[in-house]
Amino acid sequence: MSTKAVIGRVVIYLILAMGALIMLVPFVWMLSTSLQTAHQVNIRPPIWIPIPAQWGNYSRILDFAPHFPRSFVNNLVVASIGTILELTTAILAAFAFSRLRFWGRDILFYILLATMMVPGEIMLIPNFLTIVRFEWLDTYRALIMPWAASILSIFLLRQFFLAIPEQLSYAAKVDGCRDFRFLWSIMVPLARPALVTIALLAVISSWNAFMWPLIVTNSPSMRTLPLALALFRGEAGTFFELLMAASVVVVLPMIILFIFMQKHIVAGVSRSGLKG
Amino acid sequence: MDVHLKGLTMAFDGHETASLFKRGSAPSKVIAVNNFSATIKSGEMVSLLGPSGCGKSTTLMLLAGLYRPTSGQIIFGGEDVTRIDAEKRGIGMVFQNYALYPHLTVRKNILFPLKMKKVPKAEANKKMEEMARLVQIEHLLDRKPGQLSGGQQQRVAIARALVKEPKLLLLDEPLSNLDARLRLEMREEIRRIQLKVGITAVFVTHDQEEAMSISDRIMLMRDGILQQECHPQEMYRKPVNIFAAEFIGSPPINMLDRDGQRVGVRPEHFTLSQEQDFFTGKISHLETIGRDTLIRVQSAENETVRTFVDGNTTLKIDDTCHLSVKPENIHRFNPATGERVGDA
Amino acid sequence: MDGTRPTLLGTLKAYIYLLPALLVLGTFSIYPLFRSLFMAFTTVHRRTLEVEEVGLHNFRFLMDDPRFALALRNTFTFVLGVVPVAILISLGIAVLLNQKIRGATFFRSIFFLPFVTSTIAIAMVWNWIFHERHGLLNYFLGFVGVDPRPWIDHPDHAMTALIIMSIWSRLGFNIIILLAGMQTIDKQLYLAAKVDGASAWHRFKTVTVPLLSPSIFFLTVMGVIGSFRVFGEIYALFPGGATAGPANSALTVVYYVFQRFWDDRNFGLATAAALVLFVIILCFTLLQFWVGKKLVHYK
Repeated sequence: MSTKAVIGRVVIYLILAMGALIMLVPFVWMLSTSLQTAHQVNIRPPIWIPIPAQWGNYSRILDFAPHFPRSFVNNLVVASIGTILELTTAILAAFAFSRLRFWGRDILFYILLATMMVPGEIMLIPNFLTIVRFEWLDTYRALIMPWAASILSIFLLRQFFLAIPEQLSYAAKVDGCRDFRFLWSIMVPLARPALVTIALLAVISSWNAFMWPLIVTNSPSMRTLPLALALFRGEAGTFFELLMAASVVVVLPMIILFIFMQKHIVAGVSRSGLKG
Repeated sequence: MDVHLKGLTMAFDGHETASLFKRGSAPSKVIAVNNFSATIKSGEMVSLLGPSGCGKSTTLMLLAGLYRPTSGQIIFGGEDVTRIDAEKRGIGMVFQNYALYPHLTVRKNILFPLKMKKVPKAEANKKMEEMARLVQIEHLLDRKPGQLSGGQQQRVAIARALVKEPKLLLLDEPLSNLDARLRLEMREEIRRIQLKVGITAVFVTHDQEEAMSISDRIMLMRDGILQQECHPQEMYRKPVNIFAAEFIGSPPINMLDRDGQRVGVRPEHFTLSQEQDFFTGKISHLETIGRDTLIRVQSAENETVRTFVDGNTTLKIDDTCHLSVKPENIHRFNPATGERVGDA
Repeated sequence: MDGTRPTLLGTLKAYIYLLPALLVLGTFSIYPLFRSLFMAFTTVHRRTLEVEEVGLHNFRFLMDDPRFALALRNTFTFVLGVVPVAILISLGIAVLLNQKIRGATFFRSIFFLPFVTSTIAIAMVWNWIFHERHGLLNYFLGFVGVDPRPWIDHPDHAMTALIIMSIWSRLGFNIIILLAGMQTIDKQLYLAAKVDGASAWHRFKTVTVPLLSPSIFFLTVMGVIGSFRVFGEIYALFPGGATAGPANSALTVVYYVFQRFWDDRNFGLATAAALVLFVIILCFTLLQFWVGKKLVHYK
């Protein structure tokens, strides 16, 4: 390599390293602050690695927000049930749209696609009133049901199903396999990559949802994590070490999920972009 | 089991999405199969032959029960199965792209139809192994389809189709995805297995050579209509119309205009003669393929014929040559209708 | 797919498969659409929900409401501040990551982290970074001789703070989309351009950008739509709750909707404001498609 090329490489790495640092500092600072004493928090130059680490900050969250663990459980429940429902409805609907012939199929599909373009804020208030009417306020149902089906997931899965050769369904039919059985024992296993991606995106968006939980829950025990975190400031005031500890609790599960599943998550996001 | 097709017709609508935006325009209808009647006898291997789009695959789909005919009847043995779903017809089918379940092993692929029939495990395993032996893939049972060659995948597909002991085997262009050498091998294999099992089989192909070599009978189709149905050699010797004459044979039959008729002569039926006879022209092209030499002869009227001569010939390009043909080897057709004429 | 006619039985069966999805979508996506169209033209009693007034009064009120004008202005500022800058920075980084860099996946993952992170948590930590006296930003700016400023507490800086944070959190998504777009560009084009003597900058201008234009276009549309809808970030970045930032300086349209709905319980007015937002987004999207048709190079 020529000197010029070497310098070029070095510059590229320097720029990327700078960028990565800017991306990481808020996360590192969040973690670092969460382990500092109230005194250390305000010391400048900042302490990046507090010794000894104040792990007690994490249990002190409970002094101000005793329901915080409950919110964690709520998030787990809402994200897991919601995702399972979203996958189930998407599998069934995508199968109908990709493999069955029925009256109104195309019209219905275009209606759903058009609905996808409408921002959710339009539906916020009518949906809130619907939840009130169903007497679902402050229940898991209110947090889960509106997201139990997603047009985007149906659409993505339908595309994937369409790519599975039709001969396969002919072969299965000739082999004596009925539609429902074919869907579960052939299509679903084949669509696993797509299903994993859809599930991950559903979990992430459910875990981080904020506006909807804010309006349909009242009691502290029904709050989801982002909501509990947002309201925690009102309860803990400006104890930044506690606020950051609570933030770490909210952020960490998704970061761990991302570390292990990043290939699928990135693939899913790329695919949605290439489709657009 | 004899299979009877009675006046089978299949009309497709134009594509639905297209018609959604083109409201008001006349719905486009395509008649893929038009009033098709035929009988397939028990234990027979019948080829459905024709160019792409002639309706042969649609006919197969109708036989399978994957399409519902617009009108007509399909009768298996004595039973009318026209309204019976594919799942319940008890047929075996082999597809052009094999259509193996990619996530299942070969073993599970073959077991799949038996599982659907709820055959007890031990019995199913025994049948599966028998079938694997018949198609010679015992050593591949634990592989996934993606790890097999095209020919091996086709063997698995045949085993899967036959394992439930169907009364009818349908093969949809099973050899088209194989390379030339494998195609020859699998062609013989399919025939061997079919004869051994003694199953009635319908073989769809666009390759006339394939149809000629493998089947007991050929049904030649064009534009949804059955053109000719007979023994392969008879189709070669007595094509009922110009289409059949031109479709069968390689190199193709030479078609000429003589005495107000379309006249066909197969390349191998010409012989060189010393004096002017049926056809005279200059050699415009000459190539030696193994034993024979293929020549193309162009007449002063710009008609061209192909024929074979001895591989040791001294003929050269631009030599003039005379060709003669025995009268019984001249096929005559009505130029307007294309129908064969002049037979006793 | 074959062109056989759907049968009655087949239709019935298909709708059984569709039933669960249609129940949910019908109740929570399609019905509310129509209901909101209706609600925007009414005023209902905040408890009994009885209709008290019908007409265009909500829209008339919006036109006269200085807060709504402020919200619109702020929203446009936000969109213009975030979308182009985020795309430019991401484009630069994506180009660098595409240079057969060792550890490209690692860098990509780091830029992508905010995508999986709760916006509330992000806003929390940025609130701390923007802290006037102890925040990291003012601390670092001190090194380059910039006086500390009240990022969060002063109306002049609130919007800047929000924009900085939003650009930071959007980079990852943009980079992923751009990298995916770059993967589809035929490498031979670069070789051909190199042979033709094109410099790196020239190759970027004549090969990368035109062939990447569908991705850039997609990001513009998505970025504009997403930015119009910003809410949670504002809620968490600016403590206090009652106003969106100091003196409502970060009041956006969605926040306005939330205030009218949540604080005032004025359902009709809130819905009308949401509808206006929808129409603006729609116009913008159509405009973008119209402009895009001229600029975007589709294969």
